[in-house]
Amino acid sequence: MGSSLVPRWMSRAASCLAAAVLSAASPVWAQSSRTEAIAAEQADKAKDLQPRVPPGAERAVKWVKDELIDEPSGLYPYFGSVYAGGGFTVGAGYRRYYGDNTHWDAKVLQSIKNYRLIELSTDSWNHAGGRLDLHARAGWRDAPDVPFYGLGIDSPATMAGFGVTQVYAGGEVAWRPLANVHLQGGVMHEDYSTAPPSGARLPVQSIFDAFTAPGLGLEPAYWHSTASVGYDWRPAAGYARRGGLYEIRYHRYAGGVDDFDRVEGEVVQHVPLVRENWVLSLRGRTDAILTDQALVPYYLLPALGGGSTLRGYSSWRFRDRNAALTTAELRWIPNRNMLDVALFYDTGMVAPEFGDLALNRFKSDAGIGVRFHGPRSTPLRIEVAKSREGLHVIFAGSAAF
Amino acid sequence: MRRMSHAAAIGLAAAAVVVLLAGPRPQGAAPRFFHDDPLTREPDTQDASKVQPWDIDLALDLATNLFSRPGDTTAGVRARNVNTIDEVPDSSWFTNRILARPLSIEEVVRGPLGSDGPAPDGWTVTRAKEAGASPGFTMKDGAGETWFVSFDPRGFPEAVTGGVVVANKIFWALGYYQVENHLITVRPDRLAIADTARFRPPSGVRRRLRRGDLDDVFRRSQRNADGSYRAVAGRAIPGKVLGGFRYFGTRPDDPNDVVPHEHRRELRALKVFGAWTNLVDMKAGNTLDTLVQVDGRGIVRHYLQDVGSTFGSSAIGARDPDEGYDYLYQRGPLLKRALLLGFPLPVWATVPYPDEELIGRFEGKVFDPLRWKPRAPTAAFLRARPDDHFWAARRVAAFSDEMIYAITRTGEFSDPLAAATLAKVLVERRDKIARAYLPAVNPIVDVALSTDGALTFANAAVDAKVAAAPPSYAIEWARFDNATGESAPIGQRTLVTTPRASAPAGLPAEPGAWVRVQIAAVDGPPAWRRPVSAYLRRTPAGWALVGLERQP
Repeated sequence: MGSSLVPRWMSRAASCLAAAVLSAASPVWAQSSRTEAIAAEQADKAKDLQPRVPPGAERAVKWVKDELIDEPSGLYPYFGSVYAGGGFTVGAGYRRYYGDNTHWDAKVLQSIKNYRLIELSTDSWNHAGGRLDLHARAGWRDAPDVPFYGLGIDSPATMAGFGVTQVYAGGEVAWRPLANVHLQGGVMHEDYSTAPPSGARLPVQSIFDAFTAPGLGLEPAYWHSTASVGYDWRPAAGYARRGGLYEIRYHRYAGGVDDFDRVEGEVVQHVPLVRENWVLSLRGRTDAILTDQALVPYYLLPALGGGSTLRGYSSWRFRDRNAALTTAELRWIPNRNMLDVALFYDTGMVAPEFGDLALNRFKSDAGIGVRFHGPRSTPLRIEVAKSREGLHVIFAGSAAF
Repeated sequence: MRRMSHAAAIGLAAAAVVVLLAGPRPQGAAPRFFHDDPLTREPDTQDASKVQPWDIDLALDLATNLFSRPGDTTAGVRARNVNTIDEVPDSSWFTNRILARPLSIEEVVRGPLGSDGPAPDGWTVTRAKEAGASPGFTMKDGAGETWFVSFDPRGFPEAVTGGVVVANKIFWALGYYQVENHLITVRPDRLAIADTARFRPPSGVRRRLRRGDLDDVFRRSQRNADGSYRAVAGRAIPGKVLGGFRYFGTRPDDPNDVVPHEHRRELRALKVFGAWTNLVDMKAGNTLDTLVQVDGRGIVRHYLQDVGSTFGSSAIGARDPDEGYDYLYQRGPLLKRALLLGFPLPVWATVPYPDEELIGRFEGKVFDPLRWKPRAPTAAFLRARPDDHFWAARRVAAFSDEMIYAITRTGEFSDPLAAATLAKVLVERRDKIARAYLPAVNPIVDVALSTDGALTFANAAVDAKVAAAPPSYAIEWARFDNATGESAPIGQRTLVTTPRASAPAGLPAEPGAWVRVQIAAVDGPPAWRRPVSAYLRRTPAGWALVGLERQP
């Protein structure tokens, strides 16, 4: 660096000023008319025209949007759930269209608790004038550390665990004969196997027996048929402030240890208040095994607990042959397009017989949550729920109901 | 290149500073006013033929406006495209119409229409509609003209198509380049599909457009009882399509685009026009630049292409109740309402809307122009000053009741009450805009000086009946030196109780002479006490208004 008596800042300032004076090709006093002054400015710009080059961050965002979100075929990021209680999950998929509205899709999910899913599917929708959708999928799901607390609403908080792997393949038809009315039917072959838990929990068989954990040690494969009918007038299932869902879903499991039937009923009603500044959201849900004497493996029994049922309790906290759940939420809408806050109250029960479901024995929790949402989906739901078994924090990528 | 030594640079800079500071102006300095002031047309002197189309991504545009403060954020900058009498010259952005000249109701009702609409026969669909939420397609009529057709969404009849046509007329009268929009009736069985028509299904793989694809468009559209469909047909804009413009910065490849858009008054004024019509969707995607040939040069012309997001309807139904009241994202109010369980109750939650489904959520009783907001902060709106609002409000106030009622009837709503309700709300909102913005600055306009020394002027707020006349006006006269910018008082300050006064003795009369007249209200609103300065030049024909300074 050369030495100088002139401070660097002064030198730079002087250079800039000099450059500015010298580069003023057309000072305003050189013009004799307003038109000339403007023309000089335009001529000056004309010397250095260039197409707009977006900044790097903008290019990066646009690339992600164009290539990973908007592009129908190709790789895409996938955020879903492998199995309840799996924790934070990330994944990726690859989709390829082979018709206007038909694609095959391969996706892989991995959770922080090492829950994994590999699935290959094909979907074709909007047939018959936009009323008929067809789906088929096959996959492998591995949940290596699922808690089991025993049966009943009074089961102790001490837990055992197990791993469950499911290999499945099947198809489904969805039909919308009328606006808001949907019918669905499907059949899936599901092959289950269990294993000791991968974590620190004690294995189920070390605490429970075949009576307290039905189907313990059995690894059945079922033909699982489903049929449902529903009336859904919510603007979108993934996020709604008005409308409702009234649905009944029937399951038939055949070919395993025992054949059995299961039925689920769900009623959801969103009541907007003062132009949706607040929303009272209510849900009632029942889930019952209909075949009294059939052996139903403990991991296929109706369950409560976790981020979409009894939120103040751990996932799979209560299991039995019958379950009932009611939820009330008071939501307020600080921002209509991206944020809801909600106070909620959940109460529910499991029981061996449907008639044993008694309100005075329901387990309850209450909490508060924020939901970051779009017009039709809820990409992030963060909630804190308090029950007699402590505080639970929920991170979920879907609406509560 | 050899770098300039420090000493040389300082010496050169010092010389420059001496030159700049040596006197009031260097010899040959620009006069305050040029001989061609005030400009009536902003010139486009350069050939812009090399300008390239660009695509402004919808989501990025929204994110930029919501989460950053683009453009020049300096507060209080005067609009840079106004002429010396504080008006906006005609340009490739704007054409003076209402207020600038007498505009008949017939002319306004016709608006931008240059034809009778699509030729009645030979409609052939040439392309599916891929942008925007409303169902539609592109077609050619029997005369070979291209039209962009969009329908009312199913379950929401007439509001969208009617709104587009009405807003189209209003924004044309206000001075913006507009698409020529016609209401038409489409019968699906009379449409042909061009062999070259393409369609992009969800797979993204373009293919030939089929009848089934059109059926899907009609399934999403509102059907008339006779099986036809009401639609808006927008005529293809002439010239090469270049993409939209932003409300900040300039287009880097357009040599004539030298005024940052946030400093263009006609774009700042859209804050007022938008409030009037509830034009909430100020995205770049609703604008369009085209390259046209004018006098052998390529010129970029700027359109407000889609003014359909107006009044009470969006492209797919009634507008959300908070639109016009809240940005899509506002951190402060968001946190406050998140923490306070939804309180305080927002204004929009209890606004009573007219019981008229055809115009959606649009009202004038609770409307407050000062609190109106588009969906996202808009740079040009954030830089707007009271003089910009005043300029815009004068144009809004220039729409007579009769004119507004006539314009809304062009929406051809099946229920005449819908047009009347829309007009009534527009009148209410117009009056509120006039009350909010006209008195907010010194509203002196139309300054004139006759050769016999009679000074006349008008008070825009008083004339619009939104403010009481001040007890008196103080008038100060001065001889003005256009070369040096200096002025010398003539006579004493005088007070008049009406907007006219006589020039004092000693008023120069020789051709080329200049006078400055300063007019302020006495005991009027505080803003009126700041004088408006009018600069007049003596010409052979008399005194000509050359400068007007309302808010420096």
